[in-house]
Amino acid sequence: MTALGSRLGRRRVVVCVGAGGVGKTTVAAAIGLQRALEGGRVLVCTIDPARRLANALGLAALGNVETRVPGHAFTEAGLAPRGELHAMMLDVKRTWDELIGRHAHDPAQRDRILKNRLYRQMSAALAGSQEYMATEKLYELATERDYDLVVLDTPPTAHALDFLDAPDRILDFLGDETTRALLAPALGAGRIGFRLAQLGGGYIAKTLAKFTGAEALADLGDFLRSFHGMYEGFKDRAEAVRTLLSHEDSGFVIVSSPAAAAIDEALAFHERLHAEAIPIAGVVVNRVTPSLWDDARPLPDDAALAASLPAPDRALAGRLAATLAEHQRLASADREAIGRITGPIAAPHAVVPRIEEDVNDLGGLARIAAHL
Amino acid sequence: MAAPPLLDRRLAVVTGKGGVGKSTVAAALALLAARRGKRVLVCEVNAQERIAPLLGARPGGARIREVLPRVHTVNVTPQEALREYGLKVVRFQTIYDAVFENRVVRHFLGIVPGFGELVMLGKILHEARATEAGRPRWDLVVMDAPATGHAVQLLRVPQALLDAFPPGPLRQDAEWMRALLLDPARTGIALVTLPEEIPVNETIELDAEIRSVLGMPRAALLVNAMPPARFDAEEAARLGGMGGAPAPLGPAALAAAMAASRRARADHALARLREAVPLPGAVLPLVPVPRWDREAVEALADPLAAAGGTWL
Repeated sequence: MTALGSRLGRRRVVVCVGAGGVGKTTVAAAIGLQRALEGGRVLVCTIDPARRLANALGLAALGNVETRVPGHAFTEAGLAPRGELHAMMLDVKRTWDELIGRHAHDPAQRDRILKNRLYRQMSAALAGSQEYMATEKLYELATERDYDLVVLDTPPTAHALDFLDAPDRILDFLGDETTRALLAPALGAGRIGFRLAQLGGGYIAKTLAKFTGAEALADLGDFLRSFHGMYEGFKDRAEAVRTLLSHEDSGFVIVSSPAAAAIDEALAFHERLHAEAIPIAGVVVNRVTPSLWDDARPLPDDAALAASLPAPDRALAGRLAATLAEHQRLASADREAIGRITGPIAAPHAVVPRIEEDVNDLGGLARIAAHL
Repeated sequence: MAAPPLLDRRLAVVTGKGGVGKSTVAAALALLAARRGKRVLVCEVNAQERIAPLLGARPGGARIREVLPRVHTVNVTPQEALREYGLKVVRFQTIYDAVFENRVVRHFLGIVPGFGELVMLGKILHEARATEAGRPRWDLVVMDAPATGHAVQLLRVPQALLDAFPPGPLRQDAEWMRALLLDPARTGIALVTLPEEIPVNETIELDAEIRSVLGMPRAALLVNAMPPARFDAEEAARLGGMGGAPAPLGPAALAAAMAASRRARADHALARLREAVPLPGAVLPLVPVPRWDREAVEALADPLAAAGGTWL
């Protein structure tokens, strides 16, 4: 087992983060599969809008409910799991609605919020909403269900910080004192209307209303008012999530490819997690071109390859030489790229070679898992 | 009336899955437009700035700057976009300072969900329709949009606002923004992808979402990093059996077999993509460089121009 593998062996919550297009979903599924093969009861949760995890797990469709990967998918891949593998895809809107249901004082409050048009926009299409609900769902899955391991595949974020910051940003909005102060009349007695002008801070509110329209500010006030009394519950929950993520039984796995932009993002993630004292289980560098030639020796030319072919074919030898040279150029660039990650990040790392096949079954996932 | 070629529109929105080379393609499109004598602005959306460095310049931040003749870049941030937007609304710097530099208000606007996206999109669309002395400020604005899901969220902001907000100034802005985004005479989306299974799946889904959720005009499908076809099927099969041979043949045969398999999978993915997303476009070659620079971007712009046809 690799150093990363034994590090992951103890965790109960694993969160995979990294730039888009690095194979995060596949790595998350491979980590889950590995533990299931070893005997754990595992859930892999993805937020990915592209529904890729379903492909890799051989599930026709992945929904908001936890679905067990069927036994035949393992048998067909020649695998005999000692545990269980479950998978699900996060439904952001449903998770929001459930969260409101959980914290509302009564059905009337719940319904008022669910019907509010700002809420409907916020829950369905809001930037950061995905990230917030991902952590929320993770907490529920990790604390209220009976899994040995929950692996979370995070949405590709525009910025490394989004995943950690989004919950706070949205919570700030819902419970913020300054917002309440600005919208005081709406919060106290319904619509703002002409009362804006009478406010002590009327000057500021009036200018803001120039932006949004007075009615929109009033709507916002109504919206925030309907959350009245729920904020503490939200806040406590968010803190519990944070505690869970910082616990030693949890661990982040930073996934990267050798591409420069992906590595920049991985390093930014690392810096941030480190600063927040969030445990990093390891780094996975995925899609690495494996070296096929000892770089201490010069690459073979057309003549050398032509001589080694069973039948002389100078044209084929020329193409072989060019292909090997190009391959080695990429391999050495990738090696350099790995160095950029393993230098500054002390956590154990695993290198997964680029495989020339599509990972669309458990067998393919298992071959990736073997490198972890 | 047929929509004009992409580079003759006002706004080219470049999007696709993360890691497919959106920024390099956006930079190549900008180079190409500049070669045709157009004044171009490339906008990144609050990103780790990549366009200016790709074109050989230092990162320029949130201020518009000319990095090559006729090619300008800017990294649009919510702070700077809000400042410009705020100044437009209140007109006077002193009032702006009093209100928008107010700690409480800054905090408030900073946390209103979706507001940052709105002002950033507003800034980019404003550049795309701005005029100076009776002619457009830019011949073309290239928007290096965020990856798939985030791009849809960003481009949907005007519609979301119209759905959620009562009439008012914000709504009026959302109206013209939506009109510009939906107008095929002025706006076109370029979808960028790789000839690989997962990016192709995601592109097919993104295309469906653009049609159903956004309703925006799609202009081109650009397939990036197509591996070269060096070996035919018969050769690939023959070389596949030689991987165990001693050096130099064994390693060379292995590299060749991997390259051939990669190309075969790329052909397959490409065929599936073309059937599902029948848009004009180009297939761009894999450029084997460890780090992208201006030379590599030029290496993309040439085949792009050659493949152009009537859509570019």
